[in-house]
Amino acid sequence: MNHTAPTYSADFATAAASRLSRAGFLCGVVGLAVAIGLGLAEGDHMRHFWLSYLIAFAFVLTLGVGGLFFVLIQHITGAKWSVTVRRQAEFAIGTIPFLAFLALPLLVPLFSHEGVEEFGGLLWSWVHPHGDHAALITSKVPFLNVNFFVGRFVGYFLIWSLMARYFKNASIEQDKTGEHELTVRMRTRSALCLIVLALTYSFAAFDLLMSTDPAWFSTIFGVYLFGASFLAIHCFLVLSTLYYQRQGHLKKMVTIEHYHDLGKLMLAFTIFWAYIAFSQYMLYWYGNIPEETAWYLIRITSPWTNWSWIEPIGHFFIPFLGILSRHIKRKPPLLGFWAFYILVVHYIDLYWLVAPNLYPDTVPFNGVEVFALIGVVGLFLWKYGQQAKQHSLLAHRDPLISDCLAFQNY
Amino acid sequence: MAKYANVNELSDSQLDNLLEPPALVQNAETFHDITESVCSIAEADRMPRSWYVLFTLALCFLGVLGAMIFHLFTTGVGVWGNNQPVAWGFPIVNFVFWVGIGHAGTLISAVLYLFRQGWRTGINRFSEAMTIFAVCCAGLFPAIHVGRVWVIYWVFPIPNQMDMWPNFRSPLLWDVFAVGTYFTVSLLFWYMGMVPDLATQRDRAKTKLRQFLYGIFALGWNGSNRHWHRYERAYLLLAALATPLVLSVHSVVSFDFAVAQIPGWHTTIFPPYFVAGAIFSGFAMVLTLSIPARALFGFKHIITMRHIELMCKVIMCTGMLVGYAYAMEFFMAWYSGNRYEGFTFVNRAFGPYAWAYWTMVSCNVISPQIFWFKRARRCIPLIFVISIFVNIGMWFERFVITVTSLNRDFLPSSWNYFSPTIVDILTLAGSFGLFFTLFLLFCRWLPQVAISEVKNVMPSAHPHGNHGEVNHD
Repeated sequence: MNHTAPTYSADFATAAASRLSRAGFLCGVVGLAVAIGLGLAEGDHMRHFWLSYLIAFAFVLTLGVGGLFFVLIQHITGAKWSVTVRRQAEFAIGTIPFLAFLALPLLVPLFSHEGVEEFGGLLWSWVHPHGDHAALITSKVPFLNVNFFVGRFVGYFLIWSLMARYFKNASIEQDKTGEHELTVRMRTRSALCLIVLALTYSFAAFDLLMSTDPAWFSTIFGVYLFGASFLAIHCFLVLSTLYYQRQGHLKKMVTIEHYHDLGKLMLAFTIFWAYIAFSQYMLYWYGNIPEETAWYLIRITSPWTNWSWIEPIGHFFIPFLGILSRHIKRKPPLLGFWAFYILVVHYIDLYWLVAPNLYPDTVPFNGVEVFALIGVVGLFLWKYGQQAKQHSLLAHRDPLISDCLAFQNY
Repeated sequence: MAKYANVNELSDSQLDNLLEPPALVQNAETFHDITESVCSIAEADRMPRSWYVLFTLALCFLGVLGAMIFHLFTTGVGVWGNNQPVAWGFPIVNFVFWVGIGHAGTLISAVLYLFRQGWRTGINRFSEAMTIFAVCCAGLFPAIHVGRVWVIYWVFPIPNQMDMWPNFRSPLLWDVFAVGTYFTVSLLFWYMGMVPDLATQRDRAKTKLRQFLYGIFALGWNGSNRHWHRYERAYLLLAALATPLVLSVHSVVSFDFAVAQIPGWHTTIFPPYFVAGAIFSGFAMVLTLSIPARALFGFKHIITMRHIELMCKVIMCTGMLVGYAYAMEFFMAWYSGNRYEGFTFVNRAFGPYAWAYWTMVSCNVISPQIFWFKRARRCIPLIFVISIFVNIGMWFERFVITVTSLNRDFLPSSWNYFSPTIVDILTLAGSFGLFFTLFLLFCRWLPQVAISEVKNVMPSAHPHGNHGEVNHD
């Protein structure tokens, strides 16, 4: 640490953040209204809409909780490279209490008795055990019951919100006081928080996504969603940084080196995601036990076959080759393209994890999904922009900021 | 040689300063100090007395290994405890144990390099050496357990008159390729990193023989700008290639179990769980070796208390990842509603091998929790004991996985309690003899610390002032 360390100034992007926030709100309201309208028109007790809403919600949840993983991991490792982009992840975690609010509508399909006779329930068929697996699913009632399920989500969001509040506020407080001790305290506290986060997020993955097929199970599922979320937050940070730089902010504070590092982590977690997805697929395919392969069987037989090909090709090979070269990672607009691309396939991945469980015989994808996604992501950006409106885009008094700016990839 | 053996450890106040951590190299004023403290070991006429004691002991165990293998070859695999239903006994347990140990070295030199962790420089060289020797020990077990060892070349896909081909669908064959690739790349990485240091030893050699031998392996290195440029490029490329290997080897080892339809083996978390366990056991072995080595050879200024504290944190983190996998397996055994899976896990925790299961949990999950306390992370004797616990726990983890899933299989009439024979136990003990013999020879003749890399993290390598931590790249 140089004792003559230069000082940096705060970077308030009020106008840019307001624009983002306003546009997000508009998209949110219009998107959701259109999605609800289209959903109602389908006359399926809104089942298709709720599927679309669930996946859109899961998508923004991976950004919020992915952000929490990002922030905690930066603190526990004492990371220096990320200081100038970390604040944007802190804004992302600031949306977590709002995400709890976005989860509330999901109580409707959970408690609804509609569609039970036609499709065994709207989203979570374990609420009304039926069919071939009724006895098996009934045996899971101590875990899969509505009250405990709701209670778990209250717990998850309470814990995540408290963590998010602490880490966001402490960082923002440092903007004012410049107290170095805050960095040390955040680092110490991140250890326990990471353990709690890993456990709660794994169970949230089982609850929210895996239990849409209550007969199926996979021990790696929590790691799968972690890998996907951690990949998604890096892509989000690239896009968000590009947006603010276009608006004239963070000009010299986020350099090519930071894009390069973000790109390297995008590459690493593209590979990590593929590793986890392959492990799960290969072991179930090879074991060939009916109760395990049933889940993949509906995915690799028509009409889901083509969607399933997107997973290895679209979510691994294409982005892997796309961001492998350092030249791509060092050209922000190109990296931005790949970040956007990965977020699109990330959505497809989440959709693929759930939709075939509910629609084994048809691919329901249409405008409902698109507008629900626009709506929910819009609302997420609305809240994200609101955070950014009030605070500096830069943790400018973080004691590690000089190191963050001094580094060069060679 | 042991000029630095008695240097003062870093004080608590230095270690507590997380924002301005103490320098990675202590008490060394110049680059020459580093060269001197590393090279003087190989150049000394005699080693410290304890080296001779340890080497003799290691040789004895190596002799035991040789005797056991001779006995095995001349009598047959019946000398082991392997039988129905536990057809996979000690050999696979020992194989997985040693492959696991062999993970830390390449993780430290490749993954931590890509993560720009400057502290890796103090420990990477001998961790890599440890990796190579551990993989040698691991490779021994599949080779000797085939029974008719004189036809072991049948495992290679070579055309022969019997039209016999290895089964490419078997993960055991994938293992041959995975471990083989890992060994080759780790060896190359280790050797390539050593070339500049071997050249240093060549240039300092006092005898013709040494000059000649070090000279051959130094590949004509002359320290020119061009050489360094290529060296660093090659290092980066090898690091990038070795990183997926660190994950793939133990993933493939986990497939040996996980592709089978045996309850307790067939579960999707096995690949990352095995990788985490391998890093865990590998780091424990690095601590087990580095704690005596730094005192014996005088590396306390290069492997400081800060390094040791960081390694304790890695142990704690990976130990909890392993604990996460134990918990997920248990939960899913219930959640799946599969009664065989459920039985296996209850049997593990409360059946005839409960003692092994709880040894595993105590050593792997509970014992590292003491590292939450910084006093524990700075108490050398305690760390040494915990590192041994982790080694024991990780051996038992493989024992629990292998034996508890097999000894009570689908056919209750064949249930049986597995007991190792004395040959099993002596072969395991002998494998430590092989490991330590190779390791002690390495300590005697080769640069134990990456001289040039350590110099790179010293403040004097950055004449324009450093920003706290010095990145060597």
